[in-house]
Amino acid sequence: MLKNRQRLIPWYFALPGLLWLIIFFGIPLINQANVSLMTGDPEAGYEFTWAFSNYTEAIKEYWPQIERSLIYAFAATIICLTIGFPLAYFIAYKAGKWKGFLLLMVVLPFFMSQVLRTVSWQLLLTDNGWIVGQLRSLGILADDGRILATSTAVIGGIAYNFLPFMVLPLYASLERLDRRLIEAATDLYASRAVAFRKVTVPLATPGIFAGSLLVFIPATGDFINAALLGSSKQYMVGNVIQTNFLTILDYPTAAALSFLLIGIILVGITIYSALLGTKNLTEAAG
Amino acid sequence: MSEAGQRPPSRAQIESRLEQMLWSGEMDRRRFLGRSAGAVAMTSGLATFLSACGIAGTAEKNVAELAKIAATVNHPKVPIGDWVFANWPLYIDKAVLKEFDEQYGGKVKYVEEINDNNEFYGKVRPQLTAGKTIGRDIVVLTDPMAARWVRSSFVTPIDKRNIPNGVKYLTDPLKSPPFDPERLFTLPWQSGSLGLGYDIKATGRELKSMDEFFNPEWKGKVTMLQDVLDTVTAVLVGDGVDPRTAGMDGYLGGIEKVDKAAKAGQFRRFTGNDYATDLTKGNIVLALAFSGDMVQLQADNPNLRFAYPEEGAVLWTDNMMLPAKVEHPYAAETMMNFVYEPEVAAKIAAYVNYIPPVKGVREIIAKTDPDLANNPLVFPPDEQQKKFYPYGQFSSPQRQVLDKAFARVTGG
Repeated sequence: MLKNRQRLIPWYFALPGLLWLIIFFGIPLINQANVSLMTGDPEAGYEFTWAFSNYTEAIKEYWPQIERSLIYAFAATIICLTIGFPLAYFIAYKAGKWKGFLLLMVVLPFFMSQVLRTVSWQLLLTDNGWIVGQLRSLGILADDGRILATSTAVIGGIAYNFLPFMVLPLYASLERLDRRLIEAATDLYASRAVAFRKVTVPLATPGIFAGSLLVFIPATGDFINAALLGSSKQYMVGNVIQTNFLTILDYPTAAALSFLLIGIILVGITIYSALLGTKNLTEAAG
Repeated sequence: MSEAGQRPPSRAQIESRLEQMLWSGEMDRRRFLGRSAGAVAMTSGLATFLSACGIAGTAEKNVAELAKIAATVNHPKVPIGDWVFANWPLYIDKAVLKEFDEQYGGKVKYVEEINDNNEFYGKVRPQLTAGKTIGRDIVVLTDPMAARWVRSSFVTPIDKRNIPNGVKYLTDPLKSPPFDPERLFTLPWQSGSLGLGYDIKATGRELKSMDEFFNPEWKGKVTMLQDVLDTVTAVLVGDGVDPRTAGMDGYLGGIEKVDKAAKAGQFRRFTGNDYATDLTKGNIVLALAFSGDMVQLQADNPNLRFAYPEEGAVLWTDNMMLPAKVEHPYAAETMMNFVYEPEVAAKIAAYVNYIPPVKGVREIIAKTDPDLANNPLVFPPDEQQKKFYPYGQFSSPQRQVLDKAFARVTGG
């Protein structure tokens, strides 16, 4: 009896978390799975009919937006990695007493709502604004060129908004890296570049893995950047889901799209983690 | 576009689903969650559970049935207390609210939360179909959405005994809209028009025709509105089609016309009220714009112009309504009566610059601000009144078809 109770103790600890997961994740998920298989219209209501055709139709109708979301999210992840890695490296190894301050600067944008931050880019990037004017006079943009309402603006906006998600895990894995290993590599006649390539980068892989996932997954479902910095030609799957839920009131299509997105991302992560090794996945999580 | 907008519908659904799951006798919790239930039982249990719940529809009623409901309305006088007024942003002089509180007591919570008719409806629809209060005592929605709420019985009839001013001062053209011919459920808040909002410095000339929206001269420097009825009704009127008789075919034809131009890159974006930023910042030269917005924007940028399209213009009205299961009907009706006092209506009109639905406002404004009294956007001249058209009328399923078709054009 006592033994039994002891065995249950860890479960009691997990209970609040489990309840939270069931109520706020499990049930909505089942509910939306249910909705995604309904048919009907807003007037007559929606009935559960095992309508798997919702999925095929959603793919047929909205494939361009799904594809675009994946491409934009991928591009933004690469940009974040390119900017984030040197930044995290600098903060971890070279910043000295400025470390805390620089980390605060990375996180600081989160103190303001994402919508407001994106709207301010909308104002900075206007066609007659200073930035676009400079780019035009440098010949980077054509004289009637623009940044707003282009894919550049949307990808840039996503990269900007999600950069901290890349920097923080990268910083964490670089920071705890055992520096004696780098020393050892140079002792064994590795040049600094080789030591970086053969020691630092492989050991930072958990951070790269975690950072890319933290950027890629929310970026795929993002709709704020496309709505504010893009035009209809840049709309992503998040915009489509929002319109279907709130404007067209076609709940089944919106739900089906959400599950398609989950499915695609899960498949993508599986392949990605197979490439980087499952060990890294657990390390990144821990 | 609203970030928070996505949550409420699903949350209400989650709650009701949760209740059903935990309390309904049909579905016993252990069978659903328990390990002992085999996979087969689990699947079949889940299937029964899933097929047992649907999403409620909105059965629509006809005008006669609605009149019968309205005949029994009685909202006795009670203390005002705390109550909620949901409206669009920048749509009232807030001094009016303060005056109301001082004069009648209580405290009005005024929320500027309506940015888009469809989105607001999408947010509160689950409560409405479940027969629950939505926690607002007045909502302000535009004609087609107001019609939808009336037909679906999402409204509480107005007790006109509490609104003598509304009966007395409502302007004649607004007295009998097709969706509420006796104004039993709705009372106009403001009217406005859709037309050409442009920057005359950028265009170099005056624009007058709806054709300008399709003029290649402005390619990529034009915006239209996201709402299918706004954009397509304006386009149809521009083509000499009466939107009242255009029907589904007419509207689908209009959508096609817009689609063709959109594919050719004519439009920079399809917007909500945010076309104002694009216009004032010079990203675009021409927008399908709301008349009142343009009066307000002109104050900042004198180069901005608004023109009624010479072919005719859309006239819309935003309506105050008491939602179904309203909690403070007397407070709401007292406010409706208050804003129909011509003096108060003049104050609102001077602030929002839309077309007031209240008689006698022009005379009051003429005394203090003759310029505004002669502004054709706030007080349209008679010859313009003849060229105003309402939106086409559509049932909810028809509207869904149009929304879907237009969403394909706007990219959403």
